[in-house]
Amino acid sequence: MALAMMEVGETREIKEFHGKEEVKRHLQDLGFVKGERVQVIGENPSGMILLVKGVRIALNRGLASRIMVV
Amino acid sequence: MSYTIALAGNPNCGKTTLFNDLTGSRQRVGNWPGVTVDKKEGTYKKDKGINIMDLPGTYSLSPYSAEEIIARDYIVKEKPDAVIDIVDGTSIERNLYLTLQILETGVPTVIALNMMDEVEARGDKIGAEKLSEIFGVPVVPIVARNGKGILELMAEAVEVAKGKKTPKKLPVFDEKLQGTIDDAKKLLDDAGETDSQWKAIKLLENDENIAGQVTEELKKRVGEVAEKAYGSGADLEAAVADQRYQYIAKVVKDAVKKGTTGHVETKSDKLDKILTNRILALPIFAVVMYLLFACTNSENFLFLGINSPGIWLAGIVESIWGWLTDLVAGLVGGASPWVYSLVVDGIMEGLGAILGFIPLVLVLYILISFLEDCGYMARIAFVLDRIFRRFGLSGRSFIPLLQGFGCSVPAVMATRTLESEKDRKITTILAGFMPCGAKLPIFALFVSTLFVDSNQTLVTYSLYIFSIVVAIIVSLLLNKFVYKDGASNFIMELPQYRIPTLKSILIHGWEKVKGFAVKAGTVIFVSTILIWFLSGFNFDSFNGTNAAESEDGSVMCEMNDSFMASIGNVIAPIFKPLGFGEWRPAVGVVTGWIAKENVVVTFAQLYDEDVTDEYLEEYFAQYSSEELEELGFEDGEYDAEAAGDIYSEGVLFEGGDENALPHMKDDIKTKAAAYAYMVFNLLCMPCFAAVGAMKRELKTWKETGKAVAVQMVTAYVVALLVNVVGGLFL
Ligand SMILES: Nc1nc2c(ncn2[C@@H]2O[C@H](COP(=O)(O)OP(=O)(O)O)[C@@H](O)[C@H]2O)c(=O)[nH]1
Ligand SMILES: [Mg+2]
Repeated sequence: MALAMMEVGETREIKEFHGKEEVKRHLQDLGFVKGERVQVIGENPSGMILLVKGVRIALNRGLASRIMVV
Repeated sequence: MSYTIALAGNPNCGKTTLFNDLTGSRQRVGNWPGVTVDKKEGTYKKDKGINIMDLPGTYSLSPYSAEEIIARDYIVKEKPDAVIDIVDGTSIERNLYLTLQILETGVPTVIALNMMDEVEARGDKIGAEKLSEIFGVPVVPIVARNGKGILELMAEAVEVAKGKKTPKKLPVFDEKLQGTIDDAKKLLDDAGETDSQWKAIKLLENDENIAGQVTEELKKRVGEVAEKAYGSGADLEAAVADQRYQYIAKVVKDAVKKGTTGHVETKSDKLDKILTNRILALPIFAVVMYLLFACTNSENFLFLGINSPGIWLAGIVESIWGWLTDLVAGLVGGASPWVYSLVVDGIMEGLGAILGFIPLVLVLYILISFLEDCGYMARIAFVLDRIFRRFGLSGRSFIPLLQGFGCSVPAVMATRTLESEKDRKITTILAGFMPCGAKLPIFALFVSTLFVDSNQTLVTYSLYIFSIVVAIIVSLLLNKFVYKDGASNFIMELPQYRIPTLKSILIHGWEKVKGFAVKAGTVIFVSTILIWFLSGFNFDSFNGTNAAESEDGSVMCEMNDSFMASIGNVIAPIFKPLGFGEWRPAVGVVTGWIAKENVVVTFAQLYDEDVTDEYLEEYFAQYSSEELEELGFEDGEYDAEAAGDIYSEGVLFEGGDENALPHMKDDIKTKAAAYAYMVFNLLCMPCFAAVGAMKRELKTWKETGKAVAVQMVTAYVVALLVNVVGGLFL
């Protein structure tokens, strides 16, 4: 499923990313690698706040819906 | 022997704080990713032979945005003698990802473990010795904020630089990947490439920048190597990233003891629950913005009936300047008329017209820097993302635009952190629409002179709203007709909330005052003299005609016959449809391009004629005798002797503003025209310094020209609408 569908408090593993190569690389640099566990710690109309490798990262909803998790 | 030591690390890990510690300089520090957008050099306080280079933050050596390229290129191409890799101890895993890449380049490196105060407060323990053993480079724990550990850090860095200690190769990748890297490296070595190890990895990672630097042939052969090992279409990039992170996980397990397992809710998380709340976030933002302007520019601060800190300070500065002007006037009183005119009417009057506004801008700056330092800025950008998206931008554009309220130059530079080219171009244009500190005096002058009987605060606020509305419309239009590539992403790290240090706030304030003093002493000062000269002289000043004709032998001429009038009269017709087609306002627009402060400086000089008896008589002729009596004339009869006082107390300065220039009314006759003039100056081309910054960001003069053209056309069309439509109502 897409990361955007996760609820606040939920933790899941990253599977893949559908989108541009350079965005994918940037996400990887920020810790969004396959198998990494991400937790949703906040949500609002702009998008979601995630916890990745102990760092808070804000993503817009469109991007979050292109990151697949299991 | 002199060494250059570069500071590298993730955004917001404390590089600039450390740089300021080491060099004693005062660079901007802020608590959001993207504060430093350019490299900055300084010398080490304790050893002038050592140069320190502050770099923009970067998450990896494969850059994503423009300022990251600067950091990467510096490390890889210019090759400092050593790099201090600053690692934020509170997010060590993510930070070490860049560390591995820096070590791969083979540059002599020292690792600084920063934010150790916060690490300790969390109860985490980081084994610096263990890390040093693993990575084979010195690791020094520091607290950049209070200078703890930086002497040891520098000692190690100098040692490493002297010894040219190239870090050892780490067992980051598995056998298969390392084998592939070695094969690629061999190809590069054979082709005579330098930095083959690092380039091999980057090529396998598909880094376009590096791919562009080697020959097609070489690229193809590296591709073949990858294909042989992994099959075609394999995602080596993901494999590289993945294995780096796996290696880091092992390192962290060995060297770091977490105080708690799992994620515990921190203060920052709690604050975020409120400040980025789906319902509360926007109202809170609105209140914060309101407070920002209330503190700066309100005569009824928080409805308490007192002046805001900004206005209060402005009053003090103005009285000091007034006192100084009197003093100077006394000193040059005996000198020849033109010297007096230059010093008192030109320089003192001109600079005085803008000096009073420094405190306003200063207060605004300090408040903005407070927002930056506490960590709220990144949150606002996120919260506004949804709204900005509707206008075709990302929430990140908010940061440059807010900075535009202070000054357009840093605002334009801040567009560098925007990831999409479209956003950068549009935001650069929009930044020019913002009511920067130098435009404030224009509004104040106009409001106090031409909107005497209106709600002045409302008129000023309406201009702020105006700039935002115009920015939105222009962004929508540009998105629709010019830049059609879709919406950009929003990815931003949200730093911890931190209480700003007094030092950092004072630095912001001090830099602003210093910057203004320099500008006032150079550009504006020269402009002032130029305006004085052009408006006081003409060709007859130099052939003796003026001297022969005037009573006191002065070579100066009537303003209406001056050079300035001749120039102004040529361009004035352009502005006729906007309601201010006279030479003086036209000249004001032009001098404003040198520096926006000049608009007011120009007006202060050009409209500085005393209120004459004829003017007064004409002015009061419009009133009936009852009205005259109400104004203070005895028996409702016009009295030339009392007129002067009544005019200044009863008519003009009801708002109590001694800076008003009554003669402006002769040229700008209606409120619609006055508003159009303010709007035109608000939106048209910013000052040359800002245009220079635009050129740096947009790269070519062609693009810069296009951007300026958009600003000019917008200004003209909107001001025209204001004058025409406003004329029907006002
Ligand atoms: N608690 C703590 N905060 C720090 C330390 N060093 C820097 N900071 C804060 O971290 C934020 C980012 O600092 P800055 O120097 O601008 O980081 P840069 O983006 O890497 O240049 C600022 O709010 C600093 O006050 C430190 O050692 N301890
Ligand atoms: Mg910095």
